[in-house]
Amino acid sequence: MTALIIVNSLREYFSTDWAAMTLHDWIGMIMTVSIFIIMLVAYVLVFHPKNKDRLEAQRYILFEDERIDDSEEKK
Amino acid sequence: MITLPLGFTQGKEYAELEWPIDLAIAVVWLAYSINFFMTMMRRKTSHIYVSNWFFLGMMVMITYLHVVNSLAIPVSLFKSYSVFSGVQDAMIQWWWGHNAVGFYLTAGFLGIMYYFIPKQANRPIFSYRLSVIHFWALMFGYVWLGAHHLQYTALPDWTGSLAAAVSLAMIIPSWGGAINGMMTLSGAWDKLRTDYVLRFLIMSLAFYAMSTFEGPVMSVKTVNALSHYTDWTIGHVHSGALGWVAMVAAGALYHMVERLWNTRMYSAKLVNTHFWMATIGTVIYITAMWVSGIMQGLMWRDYDAFGALTYTFAESVAAMHPYYVMRAIGGMVYWAGGAVMLYNVVMTIRTASARRGVSVATANA
Repeated sequence: MTALIIVNSLREYFSTDWAAMTLHDWIGMIMTVSIFIIMLVAYVLVFHPKNKDRLEAQRYILFEDERIDDSEEKK
Repeated sequence: MITLPLGFTQGKEYAELEWPIDLAIAVVWLAYSINFFMTMMRRKTSHIYVSNWFFLGMMVMITYLHVVNSLAIPVSLFKSYSVFSGVQDAMIQWWWGHNAVGFYLTAGFLGIMYYFIPKQANRPIFSYRLSVIHFWALMFGYVWLGAHHLQYTALPDWTGSLAAAVSLAMIIPSWGGAINGMMTLSGAWDKLRTDYVLRFLIMSLAFYAMSTFEGPVMSVKTVNALSHYTDWTIGHVHSGALGWVAMVAAGALYHMVERLWNTRMYSAKLVNTHFWMATIGTVIYITAMWVSGIMQGLMWRDYDAFGALTYTFAESVAAMHPYYVMRAIGGMVYWAGGAVMLYNVVMTIRTASARRGVSVATANA
């Protein structure tokens, strides 16, 4: 009984009047969901073990010799 | 500094300047950005280090925010009206207002942090992967937060709720970044005993973590009902401005002075003195504002058995007095710390220049 009440209240809370959605509502919703998916993909890619060495190797860029190519013509 | 005291203002927070100055700001900002982009284009390495990603994010987003929020119809040389009206204008204004902080004072200074902490500690950043997530989460997340400045206004209720929800979610990348910076010292914490410049950089991260926890908490409607329009907001802003932005900048400046003049600071003790003055000054300042703000909020909402307000507004102003004295003391201590830094930097440059002069003279002889 309690579970049914919870399900019904959740259904009510998340119910959407799709017919009332304006163009701006659709644009906003698509952007929100897209960004959520992109962030999810970013998390998976960044933390996937096969990408660990490639990404962590970039930590040392700062300690490579600082070099300015003097041969280039100064603008 | 000239037009505002003369009364020329658009009446928008952080965007007060009138349209001709807005145009001038856009020109300067674009010149700076184009120079940065072209330098990036001519780089010799294929990868762009995370600091530069943060700077790029700052430049793109500040351009976008400044241009959109400043869209106005001029009616004279120093008077214009926003193209947006009413609640849309408020929404755009706080989309700009929050992100001026988010992309200039946060993203820009995180770029500084990701460069200078590894450089000063002479150790690579703790996790590059975490820095990548920090960057993208900040870029995607921050732009949603503006509406939390407009809780309980004419703005649709859901926009404030959405902004508060995303604000809370932003604790994760913000703390990820702060922990990433701090953990760079993992296994070398002893450096903090002797390297006073590093103390600035690490302490700034502590304030960054504190500020980025406090901000989302304040965005929640229940807390916002108490905190909004009070000095609590001022305390929050200053824990970010003094504790995070100014301290990471001071650490970066000390690092650069030593590299540019190829010397050590004139006095390490004065760097340490500055560090403690900045830390103690900030703590006094923000604590005073927290107490004052919460007191204000509680006084304004208090009512008696008949439903009448217990306190007048003037009584709440009078009650703030001791905390404003504390705030002034904290600010003065912080300012004096800056003066100590200025003296130390000037003496460092003078000593290094004099030493170089002697070296050149010896070589010529």
